[in-house]
Amino acid sequence: MSDDPKATNPPDNPAEMSRRNFFIKMGAGSAAVAALGTAAFSYQYLSPNVLYEPSPVVDAGKPDHYPPDSVTLDPVTAIYVVRTAEGFFALSAICTHLGCMTAYKPELGIIACPCHGSKFKTDGVKIEGPAPRPLPWLRMWLSDDGNLMVDRSSAVAIKQLVRV
Amino acid sequence: MSDPKDFVAVLDSDARKTPRRIAFITKRTSPQVRVKDEDRVMTYPEAFFRAAVAIEVLAIALVVTSLLWNAPLEGLANPMHTPNPAKAPWYFLGLQELLHYFPPVVAGVLIPGLVVMALIVIPYFNINVEAEGLWLRDKVKRMRIFGIVVVIFCVFLAVFDVWVALVPTIIVAAFMLLAARTDPQTASGFKRWLVGKPLSFWIMTWFLVELFVLTAIGTFFRGPGWSWVLPWRA
Amino acid sequence: MASTLDQLLDQVRDNRVWRSIFRSGSGESNLRRALFVQQNVFLHLFSVKARKRTLEFSATWYLGALTFGTFLILVITGILLMLYYHPSVPQAYADMKDLQFVVSSGVFLRNLHRWSAHAMVFLVFAHMFKVFYRGAYRPPREFNWVIGVVLLLVTLLLSYTGYLLPWDQLAYWAVTVGSNIASAVPVMGSKIRFLMLGGTAVNANALLRFYVLHCVILPFAAVLFIAIHFWRIRKDGGIYAGEPATEVKSK
Repeated sequence: MSDDPKATNPPDNPAEMSRRNFFIKMGAGSAAVAALGTAAFSYQYLSPNVLYEPSPVVDAGKPDHYPPDSVTLDPVTAIYVVRTAEGFFALSAICTHLGCMTAYKPELGIIACPCHGSKFKTDGVKIEGPAPRPLPWLRMWLSDDGNLMVDRSSAVAIKQLVRV
Repeated sequence: MSDPKDFVAVLDSDARKTPRRIAFITKRTSPQVRVKDEDRVMTYPEAFFRAAVAIEVLAIALVVTSLLWNAPLEGLANPMHTPNPAKAPWYFLGLQELLHYFPPVVAGVLIPGLVVMALIVIPYFNINVEAEGLWLRDKVKRMRIFGIVVVIFCVFLAVFDVWVALVPTIIVAAFMLLAARTDPQTASGFKRWLVGKPLSFWIMTWFLVELFVLTAIGTFFRGPGWSWVLPWRA
Repeated sequence: MASTLDQLLDQVRDNRVWRSIFRSGSGESNLRRALFVQQNVFLHLFSVKARKRTLEFSATWYLGALTFGTFLILVITGILLMLYYHPSVPQAYADMKDLQFVVSSGVFLRNLHRWSAHAMVFLVFAHMFKVFYRGAYRPPREFNWVIGVVLLLVTLLLSYTGYLLPWDQLAYWAVTVGSNIASAVPVMGSKIRFLMLGGTAVNANALLRFYVLHCVILPFAAVLFIAIHFWRIRKDGGIYAGEPATEVKSK
């Protein structure tokens, strides 16, 4: 194989291409397509289609179980079911700072996080502490059986209450 | 050449000195030089791209196979139910066929152990390195040894009813006899090629044929209870 | 357009950052081709120049390279499959079903792994026979032949340990029979079987042991011996290509 073969026999017409360059382009092109395809399929393979985790939808039971003007924590599902005079709503109990489980302090009427001292009002708004955002409101609705249902995977922007 | 007495030949194991090799040409003749220089090419791209293409072709073949045929998956492992037949993967089916005839110590430990040992020592025997035709020297003596070994081995196989191993042995032995009967001077073609084959060739070919036959039988001709089946009838 | 592509490539390859990583530079010279091999940590196992006769297909049928190719395919598909496989009983079988029906491309990867495994066993035997029949085991290459036999055993063991992992009927009984053969070894047989299975029966311990053997210990051994095998090819004078046609010159 001689050195620098592209210097020999350049094509006369600039629009033409030597056989060598054509094959290099074909090769590089198909390698690129193959790489893109591999990347796409790899991403699909690596993201599981089925998760063996508990469902994000929680059945919080009958509304009558909750006393009026109460904040009830379910530590298993990490939600607060809050009953006010106007209705029900659900808050995530997971502190928005670094993910610790918060606790309701009934004597102070606030929700407090033990890890770094964040404090929230019972509507989720932050009072003090390093938490960057308020506790999110979770989507809540009444099921056909009359049970309160909460979807932990959907935080709602518009704070609507569930009236019973 | 100068007088050899001008030099002092010394055996020296001083590691700090670089050893030198000196050729003493003792006969009064000019040295003959074998020109051993060969054509060389750059590893990249010659060797590199050849290997890459070969592996790519293989990969394509394997990918197409994987897209068209599924790997087998039977029911969940059930210690209380042995499927019938319970076959090993194909590369062990030859061994499983042997297990039909010999106890596990022989077929499972002894024979594989001996095979591995035999493979390992092949390059350390001069007869394999020199690799000259088996029948080109000491023909009468070697024929005698050949006859005794083959007869004893065939009787042994027949006594244990190992027909599957006996038939290939007889076939290979027949080819060896054909080679023995060939005159190296006057033969041509296949017979000429055969007569030049060394002992290592014959033993290895016998091993290859046995491997092939035993595996084929274990794969296609054995059914439930390890009974004999004809695959075109099943 | 061709020249702009070359210009682009040259621009990419002629700057400081690229040259600090890949020291072979740009251009089509033999020097660059030599550096590409010699300066690369993986490729410098090769010599910069190869004898032309060793590259012919008829010399080796490229069987050694093909065996190594299947090994690479197996490592990659194996690692990907490990992401969805739990080596516990009976979760392993459920994971096989998952791979087949739930995971995107799962059935393809599993098939590829299985067929490449069969191909590798076949190719390693073919490679051994080809090396034998062309006499490439002769001195100075005797020890490399022995390393090759060791690699053959490692390949068979890899295939055997992998066979158990789906935990289906085929796997379970193949390993039961195999472990009983192991116990046929005189004197130490039952001890060997006990160590192999991590118990007296083929159960969860056996699966875990075979999993660790298949995914860690044996691949490590394989890589080790493959490296020695390639190194010895280099040290023994390159791939054997038969006797060269010699030209006898006398003065």
